[in-house]
Amino acid sequence: MRSFALTVVVLVLIIPTVIAGGLLERRYVARAFAAAEELRNTRTTAFAALRYQLDEETGIRGYAATHDPLFLQPYSEAVAAMGPALEQAAAQVSKLHTGGDALVADAAATNAEWMRTVARPLLNPRVRDADAAERRGKALVDHFRVDMALLDDLLRNRQLAVDVDAQSAIDRIVLLMLGSAVIIVLIAAASGLQQSRLAARLEDQRVRAEAEERTNLQLRAAYKAEKRIADTLQDAFVQRPLPTHPALRFSATYVPASEESKVGGDWYDAVELPEQRVLFSLGDVEGHGIDAAVTMNRTRQALISAALVERDPAAVLGRVNAELLTSEARMVTAVVGYADATTYEFVYATAGHPPPVLLEPGHAPRMLACGGLPLGILQDAAYSVERVQSVPGALLVLYTDGAVEHSRDVLEGENVLLEAIVAAARQPVEKLASNIHAAIFAGREVGDDVAILTVGFGTDDVSSLRLTGDYAHSSFAGRVARATPAPAAFEARHRGRRSAVAAAKWSA
Amino acid sequence: MNPAPTIGVIALSGELDIGRRAELRDALRLQGAHGAMLIDLSAVAYADSSILAELLRFRAETEARNVRLALLITSRQLARLVEYAGLSAVFAIFDNRGAALSYLGEKTS
Repeated sequence: MRSFALTVVVLVLIIPTVIAGGLLERRYVARAFAAAEELRNTRTTAFAALRYQLDEETGIRGYAATHDPLFLQPYSEAVAAMGPALEQAAAQVSKLHTGGDALVADAAATNAEWMRTVARPLLNPRVRDADAAERRGKALVDHFRVDMALLDDLLRNRQLAVDVDAQSAIDRIVLLMLGSAVIIVLIAAASGLQQSRLAARLEDQRVRAEAEERTNLQLRAAYKAEKRIADTLQDAFVQRPLPTHPALRFSATYVPASEESKVGGDWYDAVELPEQRVLFSLGDVEGHGIDAAVTMNRTRQALISAALVERDPAAVLGRVNAELLTSEARMVTAVVGYADATTYEFVYATAGHPPPVLLEPGHAPRMLACGGLPLGILQDAAYSVERVQSVPGALLVLYTDGAVEHSRDVLEGENVLLEAIVAAARQPVEKLASNIHAAIFAGREVGDDVAILTVGFGTDDVSSLRLTGDYAHSSFAGRVARATPAPAAFEARHRGRRSAVAAAKWSA
Repeated sequence: MNPAPTIGVIALSGELDIGRRAELRDALRLQGAHGAMLIDLSAVAYADSSILAELLRFRAETEARNVRLALLITSRQLARLVEYAGLSAVFAIFDNRGAALSYLGEKTS
């Protein structure tokens, strides 16, 4: 841009200079040509005068020698022409300011003297001393010729000077033209160079932009591919069907924070094991993406494998922790346990995970105990088992931290969760987990992935699975709103364990 | 008589989530040379699981060097999160600074 401005300035300065200089020189040359023309004409006039003078003299001498009037004709013509020729020469010479005026005047005076002292006496037939007149005539004629020769020299010199001036003016014009042509060529070259550099830079930018675009497309494609794989994994893992059990009721939901982070590390599981045991687990792998999904899968497989050989959930967690630590794994938090439909017992253990919530008919929901280090970080992490004796119709709610940490005030989050569980329990039991999620996030932004799993004991009357009425009047203060409809035996057992959470080593 | 161990102190404030994990990690590494460290979280009410995992990983790293660690936690909310994570199993947790410092100043065996 700067060099473009420079080019414009240079052109603006040069073009008028060249035009003005050219015009001046052209006028100068034109004047020189006019002067040369004038000089040529003057010299022609001077030569004419010389010829007339020759005719006069030749005529006179011929007549003097022969007295033949034939000679008088050229003499008379020359005499008639000489006057105007000399006048014209005087006028032309005076215009040229060559200082030749005196020579013309002298020539005219010499001619006049020759006429008076030579021509006229010789025309008289009675002339006595013709020889003397002829001698004087020769001297005068020489004088005249010398004048004319000097004048011609003067004019010729002047003409040479004018020619030289004109030539140098022409040279200057040519130089000026050549110089400006060179400058313009240089400017054009510089501008062309600039243009080509600019073009090269633009091309470079275009190529780089294309490369970036290609990289972006590749990254986007890679991201989409990873997301598709991870989504598939997530779906395959999370969507494992929940068992249908004659005495246990399950419901579950997984809601990603957004479509982008659909690939979370949250999972839930309920698996029927031999000996009528039903293993439930729910957890959360640190982070997102395929790595998180892979760690999630490993953890779930390890949980099931461990549960096949260990009846104690704390021992199951210990095994899974050891398994995760065999390779670089992410941190995993989990709650794992069994629901015993014959004794109405929940037995579970947690690893760095928020506590389960227990909702029993006629009572407010409550947070159970938690503790134990997350899986996959410390080699010698120890876990303890929690054993909860409950009642028919009781419901255990497991969830990931997104369900209580949405406001970043976890105590408030727990209250919201308990309220949501009460609200959801009034609705159809099949969609309990979804309803809990909906109740928590009614009017709240979903900031994190949330998985929720509920495990409930059936009531004796299997046909009435709607957990209505009893929960509807529950409150957080822990009051019993009204008598529970549960069988007296379970009611009694429940009252016997007012703080139903027992931290004890669980043994088969 | 052993000289009293020098105590490194890290104080963090505000809400600690994964976006501040690197900050925490740098602070921990910077003070990690001390034989005892107070991690002052009295101005913190929220820490997500990635932050708690970072504290646990630091604990695992310093265990071999017998570094004494104490957490100062005064917010009930943070105390609850720390309970979820089971941190009391491997950290000495205090709710007042004096007690934490006197614990750290004790002779290490």
